[in-house]
Amino acid sequence: MKVVAVIPAYNEEKRIKHTIVGVLRYTPHVVVVDDGSQDQTHREARAAGAQVVRHAVNRGQGAALKTGTMVALSQDADVVVHLDADGQHDPQSLPDVLMPIETDEADVVFGSRYLGMKPEGMPWTRRWVHRAGRLFNRYLLGVPHEITDAQSGLRAMRAEAAHAIDFMNDGMAHCSEILRLVTRSDLRWAEVPVCVRYTEETLAKGQKASNAFKIVWQLFLRSFR
Amino acid sequence: MLIQLILLLILLGAMYMTYRRRKQKAIRPIEGYLWSLVWLGAAVVVIQPDLTTRLARMVGIGRGSDLVVYGAVIVLLLLVFHLHIAHDKLERQLTELVRQKALEEQKKDL
Repeated sequence: MKVVAVIPAYNEEKRIKHTIVGVLRYTPHVVVVDDGSQDQTHREARAAGAQVVRHAVNRGQGAALKTGTMVALSQDADVVVHLDADGQHDPQSLPDVLMPIETDEADVVFGSRYLGMKPEGMPWTRRWVHRAGRLFNRYLLGVPHEITDAQSGLRAMRAEAAHAIDFMNDGMAHCSEILRLVTRSDLRWAEVPVCVRYTEETLAKGQKASNAFKIVWQLFLRSFR
Repeated sequence: MLIQLILLLILLGAMYMTYRRRKQKAIRPIEGYLWSLVWLGAAVVVIQPDLTTRLARMVGIGRGSDLVVYGAVIVLLLLVFHLHIAHDKLERQLTELVRQKALEEQKKDL
């Protein structure tokens, strides 16, 4: 089974190498799509052992993913995996994401950051935001509410599935678009929990996320004054 | 009134621009006629403002200038919508172009 990892990257020269090295432990085929970066992302990626495709100008993550997927398919990939370049996805999760495809239980697998996480530990505001997000996805985008992580950038799909879903959105909305296309098709899909890597960077990001909720909460309170 | 003179001069200028663009074949004949019609219509309304008032009364709007504003808003919205669609199409074409070039270069590398 030829697994090709597709990593869209925009100005990621500092972090791309680490991500590629991690992914190479699980598959020798890594395609990095340099989405019009102004830095040395393409050099770093090539040096780390990835194939590099370069967009002449920045077209957005969705566009880069699609280009990378096309490259993977043209090289007879059996499975295409999408990952973020910034190292937020632990490559250790790759076998978990690939498992349902290997055992022929699913055609598309989404990695979820929230699946299996006990909701008791979550602040009620965050739970509320998630619930609102799911309602939005369900009623406005037509994504089933069973999906726990609608913004996950880590997913694996069989080549036939990658051929079948034709996502058009160039920007960040491709996550929801892919979910919508997959869940409305005959393709079998699954969600698996993926681990979070606790580096200083991801911790800093997690901190930022909780700050975002705090800001929303403060804006909400302020509106009563 | 002075405002009528100013508006007429602007419309005359617009008419001349349309004529020149048509001569340069920068716009299609139908576009030339339509824009000329728009300028002519505007000129008529500027010279005879009462006309719009009568028209406004007919459709149940109090003042002629209100009718013009409502009409202008609708036309502008349509234009924005049209531009939005055209822009979206351009973006997609650009992405496709960038993608084709990227794929071609990648093939050369192999």
